[in-house]
Amino acid sequence: MAIAQLLKPALQKSKTIMLELPEESYFEQNYRTIKELQKQGYQGVYVSFHRPFGSISSLLKNQGIDLKKIIFIDVAAALTKESQDKNERCIHISKDIDVDELVKAIYTSLDKIKGKKFIFIDSLTTLTLYKPLSETLRFSEFLMRTVENEKDVKLIFNVAKNLAQKKFIQDVALKIDSVIKV
Amino acid sequence: MADLKNLQKELANLPDEWIALVETSANKIINVNTACMKYFIDKNYTGIVLSASRPCTNLLKLYEENKIDKSKILVLCCVCTGESKQENVIHIGSETALTSMALAISKAFQGVKGRKFLFIDSINTLLIHNEPNSLARFIHSVLTKMRQNNVSGLLISIEKDTNREVRSEIAQLCDKIIKV
Repeated sequence: MAIAQLLKPALQKSKTIMLELPEESYFEQNYRTIKELQKQGYQGVYVSFHRPFGSISSLLKNQGIDLKKIIFIDVAAALTKESQDKNERCIHISKDIDVDELVKAIYTSLDKIKGKKFIFIDSLTTLTLYKPLSETLRFSEFLMRTVENEKDVKLIFNVAKNLAQKKFIQDVALKIDSVIKV
Repeated sequence: MADLKNLQKELANLPDEWIALVETSANKIINVNTACMKYFIDKNYTGIVLSASRPCTNLLKLYEENKIDKSKILVLCCVCTGESKQENVIHIGSETALTSMALAISKAFQGVKGRKFLFIDSINTLLIHNEPNSLARFIHSVLTKMRQNNVSGLLISIEKDTNREVRSEIAQLCDKIIKV
């Protein structure tokens, strides 16, 4: 079933969603998700662990996605200590990748958006390559708590299918409202 | 699964500034390596090859035998120590020196002009010499650098022989997975 059809009912009943995506079409599923969210009237924060802002923004633009309705947090460039593109739609974080700073950046960005909002985490496992597991769990816990206390905010975590069986992902999945296997 | 004849079709359909993971078998890996190199060098790319599987002398000889223009190739050799001087070769000296590899790749991105691609040969060999988590982090870092510098890339790997979690971390970062 197409991701749009799976996502629509989940958005109606859930505040937190985990998408298990096939590696072969991972990015395609990402942009289809954003497209569907925009179609449903959502604006939001795209936290990119996978690709730097320049790459992700041009790819999403090519797919007809309205970039004015998204604030990007470029974690990929920070993780790899690369120089960061300056753009009003992009928030950069320091190269030390402090989870508290990252959470604060997400929270501050959400405040700038009106109406129905989303927080889109393009890969939960990539952070564990650079940070202890405990920090990744703290990051996900904090975001889930934030969403619980907010009206009209959806949290979407993406995980590659073959990594979904990892113990910490299973622990996160237990607290998620809907897990969608694509 | 594409055979070598169909590999060119798959390569021709790659998007701009592509990064592809090519998964093949051990008995085809040399032919896949040369076919990919020939295709992109003929398309006027300059190739930067991170070679962990073969020493530079052997690799360049292989390219010569397959009529691939060696002047458009820079080899970052992790295998030999550089006793035999070769043109267009930078010696990293070890398959475990991920930081040295990352620095050499960054320098190559700055130094090589025009359309270029990085060819990583191979994920499996690098996995023999490095911890899975360190290697996945290295690949994530290199791929981010490639996207920031508009460099395309090919990563070659032996199918079914790669650590499942590393394969998954790397595959999700690529634009296309080609099975040959």
